Amino acid sequence: MITDDKNSIAPEEYKRVTEAMYKQNLELARLYKEVDSLNKDLQQLIQQRESLEHLITHKVKGSFTHTKYIFSEILQGSYGAITPELKRMAELGLDSDEMGVRTVDLILNASNLQKGTVKYDIKPVDMKLIVLEEVNHKKDLMDSKGLKLETEIKDENYLVNGDIFWLKEVVNNLIENSLNYTKEGKITVSLYKKNKKILFSVKDTGIGISPEDKNNLFTEGGRGKESVKTNVNSTGYGLYSVKLIVEAHHGRVWVESEGPGKGADFFVELDAIEN
Amino acid sequence: MDTILKIPIRIIKEQELVIGPLAWDEAGKVSGLVISQKHDSVSFSGDSKDIINRLVAQYERLFGKASRAVCHDAVQDLIVNMSPEEIPSSLK
Repeated sequence: MITDDKNSIAPEEYKRVTEAMYKQNLELARLYKEVDSLNKDLQQLIQQRESLEHLITHKVKGSFTHTKYIFSEILQGSYGAITPELKRMAELGLDSDEMGVRTVDLILNASNLQKGTVKYDIKPVDMKLIVLEEVNHKKDLMDSKGLKLETEIKDENYLVNGDIFWLKEVVNNLIENSLNYTKEGKITVSLYKKNKKILFSVKDTGIGISPEDKNNLFTEGGRGKESVKTNVNSTGYGLYSVKLIVEAHHGRVWVESEGPGKGADFFVELDAIEN
Repeated sequence: MDTILKIPIRIIKEQELVIGPLAWDEAGKVSGLVISQKHDSVSFSGDSKDIINRLVAQYERLFGKASRAVCHDAVQDLIVNMSPEEIPSSLK
């Protein structure tokens, strides 16, 4: 207690202040208990989620893989000659299973990236080689959809420090994303070098993005309102994975669009390795 | 451990959540209450109910009625199995 006459506190006042402080502390303790309880609930939910992921990995993916094998064997004639109708159905079944496996992988990858359990093997990687390879893989699909594909890559050094597997995922995801949301027109894949940065961009003439959708495009399960109408297979995990991978590479990802119906331009910026 | 021996520890730990280590300092001032070094058990030197009443009063004297309610709430699950004559009056 302060004893200086000028500043002394009467015992009643001291008790009043102490009691008031106690009540405040009591409220804090109550809030602490509440947060602690919520935290325990959250931990339980995380465990349940991990258990669900385990189930997806071992059961759902296993089932897809099993039926994929059966359809492949049918198509190869392992069970005898097949009619054209059966061949068509088996091919549809195989496509459907492959789509299922890809979806499961996408969700599991996003989950592992989010949990931080992905170990990146960081080495100098040539982004030009990755982009050209992924563009090449998509050419047939582009042609079958009647889309024009343009590539703009100047003769430069496009080396970055990164994990080749995951950077391929980024490039593949962004090109595939544009493919899924572009019914006609063209997709332009570009690579630039500017101010010690490598800029990868995928520009399309697709359905475009509203300002509202832009905000949740790179979030977990985030999809644009119009996206499911165009792409029924949208999981909302592709762009989320891209964001997690790019950020793990200390880079930036963003999208520019003038609005619905006006196409979109996705950008990834990574640090260039200087010569 | 007897239920009556669990009561002071439960009260002190609950008060510790609100006022921190001061809860142990104040409990140490209660005559007849002997607290183990590890803060995990107590023994009584005298009438256990009186000592618990003094412990509750020690907190109430400093922090008011709110602290008494904290003591009361902290031991509800313990006193539910005690006969009325065993329960210290401050916790009824």
